[in-house]
Amino acid sequence: MAITLKEQLSSPGGVLKFLVKYNTVFIFLLLVLFSALISDVFFTSVNLSNLLKQVSGIGIISIGMLIVILTGGIDLSVGSMVALLAVTFAILVNIFALPLAILMTLAIGFGLGSISGYLVAYQKMAPFVATLALMTIARGLGFIYSKGSPVTFKTYGGLYMSNFANNSTLGIPNIAIVFFIIVAIAMVMLRYNVFGRLIIAIGSNEEASRLSGIKVNKYKFLVYAISGALAATAAIIVASRTNLGSPNMGMSWELDAIAAVVIGGASLNGGKGTAINTLMGVLILGLISNILNLLNVPSYPQQVVKGGIIIFAVLLQRFERK
Amino acid sequence: MKKSDNEYRLVMSGISKSFGNVSVLKDVNLKVKHGEIHALLGENGAGKSTLIKILSGVHQKDTGKVVLDGNEIAPKNTHDGQVLGINVVYQELSLVQDLSVAENIYLHKLGATKFWMNWKELTNNAQELIDSLGFEIDASARVRDLSIVQKQVVEIAKAISEDTKVLVLDEPTTVFDPTDIKKLFNNLFKLKEKGISLIYISHHLDEIFKIADTITVLRDGVDTGTLVAADTDKDSVIHLMIGRELKDLYPKKDSKIGEEPVFEVKNLTAKDTMVNNVSFSVKPGEILGIAGLGGSGRTETAKLIFGADKKKSGTLILNGKKIETNSPVDAAAHQIGFVSEDRKEEGVFLPLSIRRNISVTNFKSISSKLGFINIDSEYKKVLGLIDKLNIKTPNSEVNVKNLSGGNQQKVALAKWLSIDSKVIFIDEPTRGVDVGAKIEIYKLINEVAKKGVGVVVISSDMPEIMGISDRILVMHQGTIYGELQKHQFSEENILRYAIGEPLKQTN
Repeated sequence: MAITLKEQLSSPGGVLKFLVKYNTVFIFLLLVLFSALISDVFFTSVNLSNLLKQVSGIGIISIGMLIVILTGGIDLSVGSMVALLAVTFAILVNIFALPLAILMTLAIGFGLGSISGYLVAYQKMAPFVATLALMTIARGLGFIYSKGSPVTFKTYGGLYMSNFANNSTLGIPNIAIVFFIIVAIAMVMLRYNVFGRLIIAIGSNEEASRLSGIKVNKYKFLVYAISGALAATAAIIVASRTNLGSPNMGMSWELDAIAAVVIGGASLNGGKGTAINTLMGVLILGLISNILNLLNVPSYPQQVVKGGIIIFAVLLQRFERK
Repeated sequence: MKKSDNEYRLVMSGISKSFGNVSVLKDVNLKVKHGEIHALLGENGAGKSTLIKILSGVHQKDTGKVVLDGNEIAPKNTHDGQVLGINVVYQELSLVQDLSVAENIYLHKLGATKFWMNWKELTNNAQELIDSLGFEIDASARVRDLSIVQKQVVEIAKAISEDTKVLVLDEPTTVFDPTDIKKLFNNLFKLKEKGISLIYISHHLDEIFKIADTITVLRDGVDTGTLVAADTDKDSVIHLMIGRELKDLYPKKDSKIGEEPVFEVKNLTAKDTMVNNVSFSVKPGEILGIAGLGGSGRTETAKLIFGADKKKSGTLILNGKKIETNSPVDAAAHQIGFVSEDRKEEGVFLPLSIRRNISVTNFKSISSKLGFINIDSEYKKVLGLIDKLNIKTPNSEVNVKNLSGGNQQKVALAKWLSIDSKVIFIDEPTRGVDVGAKIEIYKLINEVAKKGVGVVVISSDMPEIMGISDRILVMHQGTIYGELQKHQFSEENILRYAIGEPLKQTN
């Protein structure tokens, strides 16, 4: 029944087929329209640039989450990693020259991600368990190194970063530009690079990948390491925005990142998902918060609405799969 | 000749079914008597599975009537079907891996009668049932730990543990070796004597003629005829199936076999499987068959060579040079290919497109040093292969899960044929593949051999392995028990070696 119905609806013109296929874009545009109608403030440049600034950090870790989920894994550690790495960056930028501090933070992020990657790929630990452990460890280390309170930027390098993070180029916030560049790189890598093809293959059938002579362990290791490096990028950005690194940053961001990836139509079983749709997922989540804030809805009802949107988006995707 | 419908247990008449605007069944009739084995034949995609799924309640018919024992029925789901006495053994195994054999057999009954489980009774009953089938399986064993043959037996046991009126078997023997098939057939005859009506789906015409009383053939969703097995022959059935005469199933091979072996295996022994002391060699252009019973270690040998299982000792020599294959990555780097017998689990990427499937082993030739893929050359390569292998699809972007079994198998083969392999192992090249696609696959294997590749074909299908091989090795209990040259090929000789007997002396 469902099939015939869908066939009938989609045959003339294919408009519905299109909407179902690009449902994330569709939901996004609908939300934009709705927001514009409901609030005069929405389409002001101040609000839009705020919106972009708010989503950039979570957006960057969502891309990391996406590539991990594409292999059939999950990375629960990214939120805590943002906290630990923000603290780390704040400490480092007060000691070393800015470029060095950035590079060291990225390297540490990559290194921490490598631990999850090693446990998952080579010790065959369940991704959920390995990254859950890393999540606790990273949060704990964040509190230890910061002695429980935020570490503020004190040097010229820190000031430079905070200027960068709070300014815009051609009307687009700099940190959003960083986010968009990362999305663009992810798009290209997933579509046109062997790396992307292989992680999707691994996620869709790991055994067949192994028997096709693919270095399954290497790629599984790499996605967690890259997710760690992206968490470091997000950490540098959020720390710079507020001029400090705090162990309370990135609280439950991993869940928002997973939500963004799932709203973007990726399958938690792996093998399915795109960067552009994850971007849409991030923007949809951001938009919901934004419009609810504009409407002065308190934060708890906001969570309820967010959950509802996740269910709605995933139900819509079932249509597509049929 | 008008017969009353009373002699029929099951009458399906005028059944039609479409999915969307694709018509799968058109006015199909099927009448099955009490206590008969009724074979349902047809190429992949002919509509056999859909017909069975309508009978069992998975799908609902658009038009037509299903009458069981004089009452019209319309099961809405498989549970309805089971309650009515219709049980199906599907081709795709539907067992719960982490439960025991006994639990699986009584899964649909668990909790239905009493609040508390009587594990001992359950296990004993299951054991009795399996013993009565004549197979050796521990009813308390976990299904995950069983061989694929044993799993199939459990699947069958599960289906007959009910008060079955109609039992449908969908390609039950694809994983069986000849002795197991014989056991299965004896069981089917017993069921038949009990008055159960059996519907038997298979691509093996030999089997059909051994057991079936009646044969109904489907082609493109239409029933092209119902024949009494005793009054017909293979050619007539094939004619009904494919609508044309079948000249030659095994195409002629005209490749030159090289002098020096391209690949040699010496005293190979596995760490975790029964494979021990296996030695053989294959020459360029040669098709080497490996026969043997299920569980004799054929697949395990191939997996061991390919680096998928761990080795204990032994030497591999490729083009005169010793090589190590500690993982499939190593094997692929040495240009050794392996097409798995388990197409869906290990062979293809079902949710991905044909293009993405084929490219997976192929990136070296179509990407830059940094891994960026040249999409134009990718399309060129993939479309060329689709054309060459005659994969039936509208375009390269169709997901492999939407292809028929034969076309899926071609995709699995394409993955390895498109790179320049030196040796390629093909495990069960045509399992679950229809006759038309079989011939194409055989042609393909010949072509590969012609390029000077050493081809090793593992197969349980005796006519197949004799039809395509230049030489056959027969495995028995994890080692190579005997070797047959072309003039020695016969089912008897293969079977003798396979059960560890010497050949009969002939002069």
